[in-house]
Amino acid sequence: MTWNDMKKTIALVLTAAALSASCNRGATGNAGTSKPTVALVLKTLNHPFFVDMRRGAQEAADRLGVTLQVQAAEREIDVEKQMQIVENMIQTGIQALCITPSGSREIVSALVKAKDAKVPIVVVDTRVDAKAAADAGVRPETFVGSDNYEGGKLAGEYLIRVTGGKARVGILEGIPGHETGDSRMRGFRDAVKGSPGITIVASQPANWERDQGFNVFQNMLQAHQDIDSVFACSDLMALGAIEAIAAAGKTGRIRVIGFDALDDAKKAIAAGTMEASVAQFPSEMGRAAVESAVKVIRGETVPPDIKVKLELVTKDNVK
Amino acid sequence: MIVPARQFGTLIGLLALCAILWILTPHFMSVSNLLNVAEQTSINAIVAVGMTFVILSGGIDLSVGSIVALSGVVLGTSLQAGHSLAVALPLSLAVGLLCGLANGALVSWGGLPPFIVTLGTMSIARGAALLFTEGRPVSGFDPSFRVLATGRVGFIPAPVIETTVVYAAAHFVLARTTFGRYVYAIGGNEEATRLSGVSVRFHKTMIYGVSGLMSALAAVILTARLNSAQPIAGMMYELDAIAATVIGGTSLMGGDGTLAGTLVGALIMGVLRNGLNLLGVSSFLQQIVIGAVIVVAVLIDTVLKRKNRT
Repeated sequence: MTWNDMKKTIALVLTAAALSASCNRGATGNAGTSKPTVALVLKTLNHPFFVDMRRGAQEAADRLGVTLQVQAAEREIDVEKQMQIVENMIQTGIQALCITPSGSREIVSALVKAKDAKVPIVVVDTRVDAKAAADAGVRPETFVGSDNYEGGKLAGEYLIRVTGGKARVGILEGIPGHETGDSRMRGFRDAVKGSPGITIVASQPANWERDQGFNVFQNMLQAHQDIDSVFACSDLMALGAIEAIAAAGKTGRIRVIGFDALDDAKKAIAAGTMEASVAQFPSEMGRAAVESAVKVIRGETVPPDIKVKLELVTKDNVK
Repeated sequence: MIVPARQFGTLIGLLALCAILWILTPHFMSVSNLLNVAEQTSINAIVAVGMTFVILSGGIDLSVGSIVALSGVVLGTSLQAGHSLAVALPLSLAVGLLCGLANGALVSWGGLPPFIVTLGTMSIARGAALLFTEGRPVSGFDPSFRVLATGRVGFIPAPVIETTVVYAAAHFVLARTTFGRYVYAIGGNEEATRLSGVSVRFHKTMIYGVSGLMSALAAVILTARLNSAQPIAGMMYELDAIAATVIGGTSLMGGDGTLAGTLVGALIMGVLRNGLNLLGVSSFLQQIVIGAVIVVAVLIDTVLKRKNRT
């Protein structure tokens, strides 16, 4: 831009600013009702788990008479986008922030901004890294979620029970470095550690995704023909593995245990292509998160840890 | 070569967008929110500088997001290994620059289409970042490094100042140096530029080098901002950078466009995302709106161009 252009630009900016200032006068008054606003920032909305969570949260918000603002990044792993959303929501003057962190450590930078704006924080589903939070002086009001470690353990114990303690297992991991997946895997590994007959022959990340679950497990099968059991840290990956098993013509010969008890997984369990899935109750989490947020807004105390139940879904109890 | 009217079109678009948001939500037009938008835009804006150089020269660079990730993890790992910023920063910038130079060399000396070369680099750099970190994020840095993103000069966030400096420098290079002239010349007519005695191969290599370097700079801010270097960072950044560039009026055919336009383009993307968040628009609808804005902006641009010609 030349200097002349620049001058014109400045003039334009000023004119536009003046124009919009004059037509804006009456508009700021309609900021809405005085209902408190709770923000729910999810990892993504293209996963049934978070859609369920949103439903539970919305029901609680309607019941308690608060406005719920739900936002999510386009992709589950996009921490930077999630941080932007948090920053933007703070600007709207929310009274509480419920968040499912896309990254346990990374999100702390965003939570610092919430803290600075005196917005109370309710962490849902995935924990914030305790040390990183403490270092930054961030103190979430509460954590609402299932114990992923316990869930992984539940799956491991079940595997020991149905196989009589003899299995060759392939594990499909979530995104490396993510607390949720790591805890589930740790729980599973700890549960089977005491059974010498159970060997983990392969363990690879499939990044929570169905298509990657398919590809990764297909590759695992190529390398280890003798795999007879799969533990997938999420149902989407488990469902991908089931497709890979079908493609290899081994349906029914490999046990698949997943996590989340998604509708598709329940169907697979009923149909016998899947062995079991650890059920979490995301709508319950959403409900508890909004309820806690409202309590905090009202100045009531909430417990630091709100455990949402876990349950193993097998063909015996699948609905 | 520079058609001021078209750049103004984009600027008017940005101002109109701001005005609309001002009317629709009381939260948009506050100093803190505008600084917020500027800060959020900075990473895309810096990546888009490199993209503008490349697109002006008639090329495309799909590898920027992966280079952001690779330079970021190099930076993060060397900081965590106890190296000072004076060592880690040049190292990570060098990694970005080298990736870019490799792209450029393959395009110019290898004679391969930029789309293919940078598609390859996109995968190679991503894989390298994952391999290097074993897939895990590298987090937790010293506050003296983090000020690059969290610091403020007066009330202005550091990333905004960094972006301004980058734009000023890049604008100087593009508008005032022979290298800058050649960027336009190569994009306008590569054959004619070559015949007039310019080493097109050398300059093209440098252009992709600039893009790699800009990605590395963006990685510095991103890493400081998140207090973490993630091997999966920067996915789809190429699309945001291309969007900012073309909304800003740079022709995908090369030879035509300005950095000022790109900055406005990046701001439009940032303001749009911010505004849609403030308005509480569903995240699915947001993607539709952003896509529509990209198409409409380029459509207006094309129509204006046709008009100018007749």
